[in-house]
Amino acid sequence: MTYSSSLATNRTRYGGRNQNSVSFRAQTRVLGPVSNTIILIVLACLLGLLYLTQVTKTNAYGYQINGLQQQQTKLQTQHDDLEVASARLQALSRTQDSTVAKGLVSVAPTATVQN
Amino acid sequence: MPNTNTNNVTQAVLRIRIWYGLLLLVVAIFGARLFYVQVIRYDHYKTAALGGQLKQYEIPATRGTIKAYNGSEVLPVVLNQQLYTLYADPVYIKNADVVAAKIVPIVGGDAGKYAKQLKTKKTRYVVLAKKLTPEQKDKIAKLKYPGLGTQAQNYRTYPQSTLASQVLGFVNDSGTGKYGIEQALNKELTGKPGELKAITDVSGVPLAASKDNIRIAPQNGKDLILTIDLAMQQQMETILKQSVKDTKASGASALIMDPRTGAVKALANLPTYDPAKYFDVEDAKVFGNAAVAHPIEIGSIMKPLTTAAALDQGVIGPTTTYYDPASWKVDEFKITNIEEDGGSGTRSIADILNLSLNTGATWELMQMGGGEINTKARNAWYSYMADHFRFGKETGIEQGYEDPGFVPEPKDNGAGIDLTYANTTFGQAMTATPIQFAGALSAVVNGGTYYQPHLIDKTVDGNGNTTPTKPKVLKAGAVSAKTSAAMIPLMEYVVKKHNFSPAFDQNAYSVGGKTGTAQISKPGGGYYDNLFNGTYAGFVGGDQAQYVIVVFVDKPTNGGYAGTAAAQPIFGKLAHMLINDSYVTPKRQ
Repeated sequence: MTYSSSLATNRTRYGGRNQNSVSFRAQTRVLGPVSNTIILIVLACLLGLLYLTQVTKTNAYGYQINGLQQQQTKLQTQHDDLEVASARLQALSRTQDSTVAKGLVSVAPTATVQN
Repeated sequence: MPNTNTNNVTQAVLRIRIWYGLLLLVVAIFGARLFYVQVIRYDHYKTAALGGQLKQYEIPATRGTIKAYNGSEVLPVVLNQQLYTLYADPVYIKNADVVAAKIVPIVGGDAGKYAKQLKTKKTRYVVLAKKLTPEQKDKIAKLKYPGLGTQAQNYRTYPQSTLASQVLGFVNDSGTGKYGIEQALNKELTGKPGELKAITDVSGVPLAASKDNIRIAPQNGKDLILTIDLAMQQQMETILKQSVKDTKASGASALIMDPRTGAVKALANLPTYDPAKYFDVEDAKVFGNAAVAHPIEIGSIMKPLTTAAALDQGVIGPTTTYYDPASWKVDEFKITNIEEDGGSGTRSIADILNLSLNTGATWELMQMGGGEINTKARNAWYSYMADHFRFGKETGIEQGYEDPGFVPEPKDNGAGIDLTYANTTFGQAMTATPIQFAGALSAVVNGGTYYQPHLIDKTVDGNGNTTPTKPKVLKAGAVSAKTSAAMIPLMEYVVKKHNFSPAFDQNAYSVGGKTGTAQISKPGGGYYDNLFNGTYAGFVGGDQAQYVIVVFVDKPTNGGYAGTAAAQPIFGKLAHMLINDSYVTPKRQ
């Protein structure tokens, strides 16, 4: 069977005489194994890159957290120092030794207030 | 030709097969090695890898602070402060003399001593100075000497200096509380350290992406607010210091307690120390809070309690009189009074207290036994001493090394138990601490309830939750309300009859008390002839007793009876201070 006779046979099978028939068959493109492998490797690399990007980004927050914690510690130390300084300024011995206190005269009550 | 081609193809195939075989062999070797490393030695390599990356830190808990009242205001008395320790590695110090000379202007001290330390070959870590301020630390850093460094360390700092030092205690270099509140409540103050377990980078910074990171926050120690009134405490310490100087005494203790709650408002001992420089103290005895940790034979301040016990049992009345022979013979020993009290005669209960009659207190013990010192009397009096007034038992006050003192058992031990018991009625042959006595006297004057002496008014946890301390009743009905009411005028009578200068306005205020002069026992038995302790116990109030004051003076040498000459003036000054500073609400007339 030649190619033309084969076509004729096909037409005969699906259509009658003088009847036109249109047949369309999409051309399927199939990737070869090499392409598939390369694509898979690229995809895996992309996924890995994505993972690394996220991990690096997250870890960068770790440095921010560490920096903030150091700042917090420093501020806490300053706060403690100020609290100590404030407490020392309010110390009774300091008040007692102050010029104002030394100028005060001790007076015992001469009477008691009754309710 | 065909044969040649065939041979070439055969050789090529052979070469390919050989290379293929070699490749397979290499792959097999790699596979086997990977299997060995990743499966068989899995645990080993995992541990090794984590050992370099996984870091575990303890997050220290902040030690709780201690505060106290100044009127209605709360002021810190113990805080935490980060200071720095200056250290050196002598191996890296090139010119020790120059380095020593450079650090002296910054941290003080002796250049020669520093140079000697810097030249040592014995160690690679020498501590040159402690407690450097941040400014000093920065100046040291600017010197840029290799081998010289500073290390941050948390220290306790005391804004009120030496005030109430023995009540507070101190924290040693290991971070453990020693003596006072720091020791008694070390666990509460310390808190619980947290934990950080994390995969870190090479510099030790935790990597946030690790899902296995663990961070447990520390539970900071509780902050304490004391019952102590700082102004009262300051004045007490000033009075005590001057009095010890005036009486040339070895030391003294005094405390002021609110008898209605057991709250200690002021407590001081001399000699004292600076808790910030505890390491400079040579005699460790000064660390102890003598008013809590050193029991003494309290002397005649016991007589109000003997009287209260006899009144409470109904064997005497407040107005009872009796014939006092001026001496009693007990177990072949004579119990007598001091000469100034006169001889025999009819005496009242008020006289027993006012004249401090040993024979009167002994007579009260006799009444507990139906007229003589016997088992019944001893058991009855023991019950009051040990159970009602809680002598021989720790009060449970928040202090380190509290001593329970000693009360002799009432059973006949064949060693003059009756004499021993007669002696206990006037505060000899038994020991008690001033805090125990304050608790007992508080029960006698407050209506009969023994409240646990305490120093903590409130605790504040890390979340800011405040827990107030509720007064704890250790003995309800230590004496009856009737007995308590009878004891107030009896003790007021003593104060009226003793010459306080200035005198107390008894119309506006209720002030009662009792002196005590006790012989000091020798370590091997018996008493010193020329050494005495002076004590005074009393109360100040208006319509009710508002403060109980107990004073102890250790071996005063200013002449006279120690109780009257040394302890009574301190009581007088403290009582006047309470009145003059309006701590006492006067009587409603």
